[in-house]
Parts: sequence; C-alpha cells; structure tokens
Amino acid sequence: MEAKQKSEKFIVPIGPQHPALKEPGHFEFTVDGEIVTNATARLGFVHRGMEKGVEDRNWTQGLYLMERVCGICSHVHAMAYALGVEKLANIQAPPRAQAIRELVAELERIHSHLLWLGVAAHEGGFDTLFMFSWRDRETVMDLLETITGNRVNYSANVLGGVKIDINDAQKDALRRGMDFLEERTKHYLKVVTEDETFLGRTRKIGVMTFEEATLLGAIGPTGRASGVQRDVRVDSPYAGYPDFPVNIVTSDAGDLEARFVVRIKELYESYRLVREIVDHLPGGDLTVKVPRRIPEGEVISRVEAPRGELFYFMKSNGTDKPERIKVRTPSLCNWGSVLTTAIGHKLADMPMILAGIDPCFSCNDRLVMINGKKTETQVWDWEDLRQYGIEYYK
Amino acid sequence: MDTQELLQQALEIVKEWTIEVSQPEENRRDIYIEARDIKPAVKALLIDNHWGYLSAITGLDSPDYQIDEETKERKIDPDKGKLEVLYHFCNRAAIATLRVRLPYTDAEIDSICEMLPSASFYEREAMELIGVNFRNTPITDHLILPENWPAGVYPLRKTFKGLEKKTQG
Repeated sequence: MEAKQKSEKFIVPIGPQHPALKEPGHFEFTVDGEIVTNATARLGFVHRGMEKGVEDRNWTQGLYLMERVCGICSHVHAMAYALGVEKLANIQAPPRAQAIRELVAELERIHSHLLWLGVAAHEGGFDTLFMFSWRDRETVMDLLETITGNRVNYSANVLGGVKIDINDAQKDALRRGMDFLEERTKHYLKVVTEDETFLGRTRKIGVMTFEEATLLGAIGPTGRASGVQRDVRVDSPYAGYPDFPVNIVTSDAGDLEARFVVRIKELYESYRLVREIVDHLPGGDLTVKVPRRIPEGEVISRVEAPRGELFYFMKSNGTDKPERIKVRTPSLCNWGSVLTTAIGHKLADMPMILAGIDPCFSCNDRLVMINGKKTETQVWDWEDLRQYGIEYYK
Repeated sequence: MDTQELLQQALEIVKEWTIEVSQPEENRRDIYIEARDIKPAVKALLIDNHWGYLSAITGLDSPDYQIDEETKERKIDPDKGKLEVLYHFCNRAAIATLRVRLPYTDAEIDSICEMLPSASFYEREAMELIGVNFRNTPITDHLILPENWPAGVYPLRKTFKGLEKKTQG
C-alpha cells in the first residue's frame, strides 16, 4: 500500500485564471507532499500573432503594433523596434531624442517596479504595502501622462527619433516627482528588509544560485539578485545610455528578498538618471528622416526592459514591410529559469516565487468601446479602428 | 575583455564544426553549422567554456521567392527554400549566433534541453510556429497555440495566410 502511494504522482494545476498576477497562464506542479518535484507551464492565452501580423504591415505601422506587445513596458518595445529599424537604415536619431528615449524608459521602469512591488506584497499577504506603493505609483503615471499625453502606450517614439519634447514646466514637475518618490522608496526599502512577518515569506525562499542563474540565462533583476552582472544598459549601451550611464545593481543572496532589494535599489538609479537627464538635456532636433523602404539586412536590437533583456531579431527584405520580426521578451527567459529552480521548494511558496520574477503575459487584442450615451457595447476590430482614426483626423 | 576578443574566443570554441562565418554587425558573428553538430557546439560554448548565455532561438522561414515579370508580385516556390534555426548567445555586447539550415522535407534537429532545461520554451515556440521538429525535446504540448489547432499548420511559415473559417478556434 505504501509503495503504491509513493509511485503515484499528484499534480496541482494553477491557472489559467490569475496564477500570480491578474493575467492568464497555466502551471502544473507535480508534488510529493508539500514539495514540488516538477513544474511545467502553458502560455498563449493572450497570444495575438503579432510576429505574423507585423509582416503584413509597413515599417511605420509596425512601430505602433509592437508598442502594444506589452501594456506595462510598452516604451521599451517601441524603442527596441525603432533602434533596430534605424540600424537597418544606417541612421541615428539625434542626441536629444536619444536622451528623451532614455528618460521615458527610466520613468517606465519606475512605474513598473512600483507596480511589481505592490503585486508581490499582495501575494505575500501584505496588502498595506500594495496600497501604498500603488498610490505612489500614480505620481510617475501622472508624470508620464504630462510629458507624453498617455498613461500606458506612451507612443513617444517615431522611426528616427521621438515626437515629444520636454519644456521647463515639465522639468520642474519631474524633479518634484523624483524627490517625493525617493523619500517614499527609502521607506519601502526599510519595510522589505526589516519587517519580520514579510521576511518570513522572502528570506532564503526561492533561492537561485549564481551558477544556476548564469547557466539558465536568468536576466534582469531576477538574474542580478543572484549576482549575475547582466544589464544591457551597461553591457551594450543604446539610446541615451552612453551619455547618461547607469550603475549596475546586484545582490549575492539570490532569494526573494534579494529580488525586492535589487528592484528597489534600481529605483534610486532611475531617479538619479531622470534628474541628470532633466538637468543636462542635449539641444537640437528631435527626429531625422527615415526612408520608407528599409535596406536589406538582419539586425539584433537589445534593450533592458524593467524585467530584463528584451531581444528583437529583425530582418528586412528591402521593401516597405519587414520580412521577419522575432521578439523574445524577458519573462520567457525567466520562466525557464524559475520553473527549473522551483523544484524542491514548497507548494505554498509558488505564488511568491512566480510573482518574484515579475511575470508579464501581455494584454488584449481588441478594443471594447463602451459608449457613454447609449448602453450598447461594441467590439471593434483593426479595420474599424483604423477607419475611425482616419475619420476622426479628417 | 572587449567585444572583438570575446567574438574571437567564440569562433575558436566552435571552430571544428564551423562551415562559414559572416559578420552582419560589428558586435555579431553568424556561425553556420550542420544540424547534426548542434549539441556538441552548444556544449562546447555554454557548458565547457561558459561563453555567455542562450538569449533566444529564432526560427526563420526563408522561402525561394519567384518574382513575376509582369505583375511584379513575389510568389513562393514550394519545392525550394529552407528553414533556419538561429541560436543567439550573448556575452556582454557580443552576440554569437549558431545558424543551422534545414530543408522543409527534413526539418529536424536535436534538442538541447538535456544540457539546458530552460531552452524548452524556445524549442516549443519554434516547433509550433515554424514547424521545426526538435528531437527528444522533453515537452511537446502546445505552449502558445490552442489545443484544437490543426496539426502540420505552422503560422510563421510564409505560405500560411490564415485558417479556413470552419476550423477557426
């Protein structure tokens, strides 16, 4: 009887509804008592076929499509794409545009890390921290709206530069915002490193050693929390990063606490960079002209998204449409490493370990429009939306 | 070590399997190898010499386009052309890509999951979307496409123009 029980596997399915964040993904954990012995994932619940879709659109339309790959880090996708196209066309955006790209990227990192801090705190049962960090996140969301006009898909990039400029009033607002957030962040660092109950959920939990992280290709704050010195902003600076360099933040602990500490310390770096860019913004133009047809070639464009290295492989066939765009988002990399290291941990720690890599599943593929006056709800497809845009701006 | 030295080091490591090398960008080398050599080459690069990390696997469909003289339309010759699998390894700013060409009729390559379990995601993605068969890959369930997706239909192939209405999920 006992022998039979030992040979039976018990599989706990988690998801697709709300496995860690309020986004869909399905995981199957094989358990032996409380201990996880195997872990697999099934993604694709929000797969929209964008890599295929972009092959049927021209290079400019592609920019707007790729910006919508992710709702949290939309700017880095547009930036990676725009930088790739500029490399293919052998042109460079002006210094002022590159600095503004970096500025928006760092603001986006601030919003993303604060968002994650709240979500991870919530998973650990610390809802007060969740409420506070999301309240403070509104500061940076308002700043992003002030300078780009949008809270989510900022649409700051165009091929060959940016379409937004920063004026003095906005600079002041940015300085004030950073001062406020820096004070708050000091408090958060204290909380996540000193609060006994919370440390019970994070210290020495979900440890990924340096060797594992290096081999499995863990990237971004997840890798850096295990002491891996990988940051595209440092290794291969792009956009404004050669002029406004960033200091890499790492920790050797490799546990969940280290992932909190690394992300929070990266916030300080982002505040510093935002201030520096605002104080020393280069003058000059915002854009250069980009040809409609992009010369034949293949480039790889890498940028550091809030979650880690974002990888674009882009192939042009010499026409006005891309031949192939391959996107590898940081979450995919980190899923691989975290599911491998999940083995041997307690099932009860899985939500925190999953949330620990800051997973991102992407968003909707259609627009649902709720008309204020009438009570009907309409679902629009791409063509309706396009037509609406044309009519609106006529 | 600077970027060029790192790239030189990578070229040395996989020298015995190399067919040809190209330099698409300053910080990149594309190293063409045979499909049968993928496991030893990855082992030498990643496991034995710890050169960088596997950043992504790109599946690429390179069909043979025929340009119609009159209409200027590009048509695909279904019998010619090839698939390509690109293993991108990053080490600081340097990117070494192991490139394997595969014919449509025999689009098979050994899985590298044995050495690198985290490659499973990339292999599953390439398997579903571009139709490369990874021999001995541990998980073959759908990662991205729906369960009722027809077998043998690969959306990222250039010949794919959409499913028939009745089979749409």
